[in-house]
Amino acid sequence: MPLAWFLQNLVNGLSIGSVYAVFALGYTLVFSVLGILNFAHAAVFTLGAYLTYVLAVGEFGLNGLLAGATMPFKLPFALALLAGAVLSGLAGMAVEYLAFRPLRKRGADALLALVSSLGVALILVNLIQYLFGAEIYSFPPDVLGSLPPAILFHVGEGMVAMRTIQAVLFGVSLLLLIGLVWFIQFTKQGKALRAVAENPDTASLLGISVDTFTLGTFFLSGLLGGMSGTLIGVSFGLSGPYFGVAYGLKALAVIVLGGLGSIPGTVLGGLVIGLAEAFLPPELSSYKEAVAYALLFAVLLARPQGLLGKSAEEKV
Amino acid sequence: MLELNAVTLAYGPVMAVREASLHVRQGEIVTLIGANGAGKTTILRAVSRLLDPKSGAIMFEGRDLRGVAPDRVVRLGLAHCPEGRQVLARQSVRDNLELGAYIRADRAGIRQDLEMAFDLFPRLRERASQLAGTLSGGEQQMLAIARALMCRPKLLLLDEPSLGLAPIIAQEIFNIITNLNQQGVTILLVEQNAHMAMRTAHRAYVLEAGQIVAEGDARKLADDERVRQAYLG
Amino acid sequence: MEDLLARYGFLIVTILQQALLGLSLYFPLMTGQLSLASIGFYSLGGYVAAVMGTHPALAPLREALGFSMYPLEWLVALLASSILGVVLGYPALRLRGIYLALATIAFVQILGVLALNMPITGGAIGIFDIPQPFESRLAYAWFFGPLLALTLFFLWRLERSGTGRLFFSIRENELAAGAMGVNVTARKVQAFVIGCALAGVVGAMSAPLLNTWNTRQGTFDAAVACLAYVLIGGARSKWGALLGAALLVSLPELLRPLKDSRMILDGLVLVLVCVYMPRGIAGLFDRRRA
Repeated sequence: MPLAWFLQNLVNGLSIGSVYAVFALGYTLVFSVLGILNFAHAAVFTLGAYLTYVLAVGEFGLNGLLAGATMPFKLPFALALLAGAVLSGLAGMAVEYLAFRPLRKRGADALLALVSSLGVALILVNLIQYLFGAEIYSFPPDVLGSLPPAILFHVGEGMVAMRTIQAVLFGVSLLLLIGLVWFIQFTKQGKALRAVAENPDTASLLGISVDTFTLGTFFLSGLLGGMSGTLIGVSFGLSGPYFGVAYGLKALAVIVLGGLGSIPGTVLGGLVIGLAEAFLPPELSSYKEAVAYALLFAVLLARPQGLLGKSAEEKV
Repeated sequence: MLELNAVTLAYGPVMAVREASLHVRQGEIVTLIGANGAGKTTILRAVSRLLDPKSGAIMFEGRDLRGVAPDRVVRLGLAHCPEGRQVLARQSVRDNLELGAYIRADRAGIRQDLEMAFDLFPRLRERASQLAGTLSGGEQQMLAIARALMCRPKLLLLDEPSLGLAPIIAQEIFNIITNLNQQGVTILLVEQNAHMAMRTAHRAYVLEAGQIVAEGDARKLADDERVRQAYLG
Repeated sequence: MEDLLARYGFLIVTILQQALLGLSLYFPLMTGQLSLASIGFYSLGGYVAAVMGTHPALAPLREALGFSMYPLEWLVALLASSILGVVLGYPALRLRGIYLALATIAFVQILGVLALNMPITGGAIGIFDIPQPFESRLAYAWFFGPLLALTLFFLWRLERSGTGRLFFSIRENELAAGAMGVNVTARKVQAFVIGCALAGVVGAMSAPLLNTWNTRQGTFDAAVACLAYVLIGGARSKWGALLGAALLVSLPELLRPLKDSRMILDGLVLVLVCVYMPRGIAGLFDRRRA
């Protein structure tokens, strides 16, 4: 097996897989605290991409309400990425406030919360379409500044090309993951969050506000969504306001594969799916989109709790 | 210190507690005894605001608790050690204790109290880095009590601390309760094990099917015929 | 009047069609199972009809049967959906709650990718120029109307039958039902397959209506719409799907003046109904069941 081929696929798989993982963690965080899936997450993913585009490129497209408008300023990519992510976090909090909290206060069925989040997703995506139009938005090739487009390694008899954007994807994702894990495992607020996820009543008795931490979870989730949306958008372009749907569904495959509610599981699941897609033989490349779902199916049939999940304790 | 006035509690359409009135004075140990399902836990949950009363008032240090969020109650000085211990199984013993002091910001004081908790419960010191879920029942109960103490409460609500524990361990727990009270902690104790509870407390209330049917000095009540037959036989 | 019928003919037919799709979701819901697979079977049924209607190899059969070709298409779609439903159902329905929903989502996605890549389905372009039995859109009500009436009648009987009671007992408490000797998985599959078969037939009926058929007929969004009909109309009533479809299909039309923002309002309606009318429209009329 040629080493270059293996390493190339490894590079491809890990870089896309790490973004899948970051995106899917948004679902995992909310699931671990509320026990339900937030179907508006994919819309926040999309929103983040569009917001960062506007902040980094400084102008809107040719359609939609804001057609032709320009921003009074343009941010360097790193700042735009951060700002877009923070705004997405705020959007995530809005989702909790509008779609989930009212239902919780009424003691509604979890299924209803799911559909409610779908409703919010619909609102968000169509709002994006209304403002930005439905056309393709492509980040300009120099958005990352004056970095070379790719680095080439000579390996054995072949060559491995790592596009700069792939390095960025992997690097940013890694940073986010480390940051998240450090926060959750080692900080007081992170431990308080875990307490809320494990036992909300007890957490309340200790003085931890479940409502506040739920909002905080949605902020984190939105942040991760917006970041990953931007990263994907820079890699592949924004094909339209619905471009998040396919990734959203794929992220569901990631979390089931890894084990619902398990953070390490989600990371593993993302990497596995990324690698599986990368290592797919070229003859089957048109079936690439089915890989994640085929894996999802296989996992559900063989081991529903996923790779790292605990045995069947579903809340929905 | 704590006063319940004709409090009625319900879970949806099901009435759990009917017009219960009780009070706890500073420095006392008051126990609430009754059979399973009598409504004892429900009353404690109402005091810590996990449940809204349908009618009646709950006053703590003269302040009406109506509308107070559950996570604010502990800031008023009221700690609740819930039924079934409810330790945070996936976190370490030390983390559990530190989370008990969540509302406090004084790092030095917290560390001090942590040491005191370990002095009080040496077995917890041994297991400080272990996950709380791996502890035995008795150890978890000690952890739950220690955790509740970490916020330096004025009033401690204890829900069935002896449940599921061997008599020797239960006795240890009750000794600790007496000790704590002597050090100035006011305690409202809910127990199914009436025998031990009556011997530890100053005053007692008897709850039957959601209603307070007897109250008074713990020793005297323990001698009461009805109570003896129903709960101490 | 004629003018009105012509303008709203498509609307009426769409309502009937979407109500049927909602009902295909209602069957598994009777056993408490949330399945989003219906849309996949709808897509399958449509492809069956499309292929049977346009494939050159079947031209002699079409000649011979004339109009009866359509019922034959429905029958084949029914059989195909039922078989695939059983194949999918038995393993999938051992899963509970959200896992089942995810499995059905995955199934629909896989079907979509397959349809994009198989030559017989015409790839990304799909199949077009499907022969149409009628000139006007409204005439298709002759297909969907009777099917809807039949399905509602069937449901009316089912709800009163032993099987129906078994379904509901599973919905109320799966463990208890199992403990009382009910073969829970078999019953869940039964309900599931009925739903799939219905969706398949609806698909077969819809292919001529839409004249072309491709992967856009089987998207996640469409599955969500079906779910919305049932939830908004009332998930515990057979009338729910019809009420929900009637509202959600006509809403964009009624809001036509608002043009671009109508989809936003669709989403808003969904959220508001979830929050303020969790039992759906049918639930408003149903004060008996607390």
